[in-house]
Amino acid sequence: MIWLAIVASVSAAVTAPAAAQERSAVKQGFELAAKSNKKILLFRPAVRVGAQSTGGLFEPNAEWTEQAKANIEAALHQFQESLGNEVVAAPEAYGDDARNLHEHMALFAAVSQSVIEYQFFVGNRLPTKKRDNKTQVFDWSLGKGVAGLPGAADADYGLFIYNRDAYGSTGRKVLQVFAAMGGVSVTSGEHVGYAGLVDLKTGELLWLNADAAMGGDVREKDGSEKRVRQLLEDFPGSDIPKAVAE
Amino acid sequence: MKSSAALLLLMLGVTCGRGDAQTTPLPPPYAGAYQPQGVDEIGLWREDDESERQLAVSNLVVRDEKLTAYVKQVLCDTVGEDRCKSVRVYIVREPTFNATMSPNGTMRVFSGLFLRVHSEAELAAVLGHEFGHFEQRHSLADFKSLRSGTDVLAWTAVLVNLAASYNTRRVYRDVELSVYGHLYRYNRDQEREADRLGIAYLNKSRLRPQAASLVWQNIMAEVEVSARHRGLKKPNFNVIAFTATHPPHGERANYLSVLALPEGADRDSGADRYRAMLAPWIPLFLEDQVRLNDFGGSEYLIEALAQAGWTAGLWFARGELYRNRGNQRDLVQAADFYARAIEIESGMADAHRGLGLSLMKTGRPSDGQKALQAYLDLKPGASDANMIRMMLPKEVTGP
Repeated sequence: MIWLAIVASVSAAVTAPAAAQERSAVKQGFELAAKSNKKILLFRPAVRVGAQSTGGLFEPNAEWTEQAKANIEAALHQFQESLGNEVVAAPEAYGDDARNLHEHMALFAAVSQSVIEYQFFVGNRLPTKKRDNKTQVFDWSLGKGVAGLPGAADADYGLFIYNRDAYGSTGRKVLQVFAAMGGVSVTSGEHVGYAGLVDLKTGELLWLNADAAMGGDVREKDGSEKRVRQLLEDFPGSDIPKAVAE
Repeated sequence: MKSSAALLLLMLGVTCGRGDAQTTPLPPPYAGAYQPQGVDEIGLWREDDESERQLAVSNLVVRDEKLTAYVKQVLCDTVGEDRCKSVRVYIVREPTFNATMSPNGTMRVFSGLFLRVHSEAELAAVLGHEFGHFEQRHSLADFKSLRSGTDVLAWTAVLVNLAASYNTRRVYRDVELSVYGHLYRYNRDQEREADRLGIAYLNKSRLRPQAASLVWQNIMAEVEVSARHRGLKKPNFNVIAFTATHPPHGERANYLSVLALPEGADRDSGADRYRAMLAPWIPLFLEDQVRLNDFGGSEYLIEALAQAGWTAGLWFARGELYRNRGNQRDLVQAADFYARAIEIESGMADAHRGLGLSLMKTGRPSDGQKALQAYLDLKPGASDANMIRMMLPKEVTGP
């Protein structure tokens, strides 16, 4: 079952190059002034780091993932000041709270994927969102249930972060070179990340930044800093300088 | 060609072994709590740990300490106390026949399994099989074979593109087929190995090993009834499809019965204990099953459960099954089944509801309204109370 998907990814990888894609959006009328003493609740970032096999398979790597997690956490801490507001980690949840949190993490992932798939990038359009796209309206919500999340009562906004990195293995890179000789494009590596800000009172999605080709090697300290900067550079109210495009 | 010959030999080997209990390999000695080794395995475990963390807080998990502890105990009785310490059991509410075990020791038991096994020994056969996958670290081997397979395909695709011609494309198709074929066959061989290990645990346990073959015989019977009700021809339980991930049911039933220790036939199968423990859960699991819209299969399962005696819950589930299909002839039958449920348990509110709704549609509205009134009396706060009230005559509804 798993490998049917992988077979599909192999054939896709050999034929179509993924275009570098980045976009972010802010809900209309939403402004978060710097130093406005708002509290931002950071939910446990989802980080997966691994290698990409010659055939395009994701090979999970525990050591890289642990490194990336630690690095990203350190970088977040460092940028906290520049975000203009206080960022606190969400408390550990138990029992019903934990189940509620799990449901909302999954919901956030689903909603963000919908934004990315149907609003951010050209191509797929949900019929109900066509008008929104033309008038630059950004209107998505997780529902009022977010107010009940653990830690939500003492905070104003919730921040979700997702990262998935697959570094091209040596085999994949060699394949890429040979494929280029044959005039076929084979991509090596996959670096997807997105971050979103949710209003913890109303559940509205206030800001979302998605990038299907992120920079920065999260296994390294400097790389993680660059990654976090890219994720948060358009963060409302932040004064993080924009990374220079490479 | 070579592969099918090997497969033939394997099947022959199994049939030749009939009656020779020596062919059962004993489980390898237990080596203590295992820790993952190497980049691939440690990586897989980390992914798995993350997925278990999500599973633990998922709403799909049936959080009943008693039932979970019971399933765990059956596993421990099968594979031994020391081995089972490395396992966490989660019961997942999912009405299909399955259980899985992942590399880090997470066992997911689907609720549909409980409708299809009828004794501790049958449950143990399935759990032992899954534990076999875990002990042999099949997920890791599977991942590696998948990786090599896709590596070969990626290279072939690129090389074929370097010298694209009609012939090289044909070569690519051939390679593709043999790689996929190999991957599926590899999967089936892993299942056979897990089967052999599972039956070896069962042979050593206090439970009756002949139950393992019974599980597959029952599944074949269910599949057959389900196919018949859908107007399909009788499935062939011995043919191996190209994309089959498991050996055919017939083959499994066969070799499992051969490998079961003959002396074990007198052992207890724990059917009574199993039935008593599962009794409170069967109605809920049946409710999910009935919604699968598999009339023949559900009917078979209900009747199989009823062999130990019809209960109100079973009559009710059968009523629901017929009422959901909803032909006029079904509704008449459903009314009969609900009535039998009420005979056994007069306070079963939902049975009165089903009876009322079925009678309303089959030309007996006055009896139907009486049943619906009984439903409302038993369950005044029901979520559909207002809708049901609309079907009652005005004077009965009150102010």
